[in-house]
Amino acid sequence: METLEVAWTFFKIGIIAFGGGWSTVGIIKNAVVPHWVDEGTFRSLIAIAQSTPGPIALNAATMVGWYHGGILTALLATLSVVTFPVLMIVLTTLLANRVSLNQQNLNNALKTGSLAMMLMTLWVLRPASADPLLLFFALAAFYIGAFTRINSIWAILGAGFLNALLGPLIRSIWQR
Amino acid sequence: METQQNLPTPWKLFLLFSSITTVTLGGGYVIVPVIGNRLEKLGWMNEETYYDIFAQAQAYPGPLALSTALLVSLRLCGAWGAVAAFFGVILPPFLVIILVSGVLTTYGSLPVVKRFLDGAGSVVPGIVAAMAWKNGKRLVKDNAGRARLIRLIELAALTLLLVFIPRYSMPILLGGIASLYLLEGLWKPSK
Repeated sequence: METLEVAWTFFKIGIIAFGGGWSTVGIIKNAVVPHWVDEGTFRSLIAIAQSTPGPIALNAATMVGWYHGGILTALLATLSVVTFPVLMIVLTTLLANRVSLNQQNLNNALKTGSLAMMLMTLWVLRPASADPLLLFFALAAFYIGAFTRINSIWAILGAGFLNALLGPLIRSIWQR
Repeated sequence: METQQNLPTPWKLFLLFSSITTVTLGGGYVIVPVIGNRLEKLGWMNEETYYDIFAQAQAYPGPLALSTALLVSLRLCGAWGAVAAFFGVILPPFLVIILVSGVLTTYGSLPVVKRFLDGAGSVVPGIVAAMAWKNGKRLVKDNAGRARLIRLIELAALTLLLVFIPRYSMPILLGGIASLYLLEGLWKPSK
């Protein structure tokens, strides 16, 4: 059953999905490309996952499930990615006061760990095409994200619309 | 009487979280402050308690918005509150994504839609680089001397392992985070 395979993959992703969406994207990519979606589809899927409401890991699970088997697979993938996190919350609530981890140390360890995951995400999603316009969009998005307080979805939507409406025109001027 | 009416119930928690996840674009770090704000305004939880819970939530795997919502609701309303929050966080994005995916399956092959997706996808490395830049800067700024050196070495080692042996990213991460935790405990007291 391929549906179960997708679910199992996302269950495993849920176990190591530390530190918010962007750190997890690299792990998700390694798990689903090229087995379930191709490289290009994955990039646009992540852009959509980020510019629609909801956590990115959740949205990515829903979309990969949808592309792979339809609504049932989408539902199963979505529930699978949160199974382990929810179990952990249930467990620690039940075992409250019996397990004692040092919160500060744990958060410090996770900060370093999730930054490493983020760098790995950057490596696996490094720009794939040599198209100067697309590279310019990536650079502009870096500038907006690193040095302004603008929500990054405006970079995603802006680049999408610019490329859709003016892309051919800009490229033809460029080549002349 | 008035305070009685304003007490959190599972249904109210569901409405709160689903209304937030329906309209808030941009992932955990955008959603989390919004939740804090709304809870404060409703008088259900002050900001200090909220950010304590958020600090705990960061220690759990999975979407930050989800773990924060679950822990907050457990505190406010017990198990049923958490169940309500779970569906409040999960359901709206799921429906939106199914809708968007359905539209894309139908119109995804149109050249203009393809160009939109190419453009949107092309900014992803830039956004990730910006996030890494910000977090990296914080890591360097928040630590000094030996602590900074140790953390940077840990970061480099873990990143290299993840990049060069992606097949084993799961054991690397679980082992890596566990050892980072133990290391923290080892050199903290002597600082």
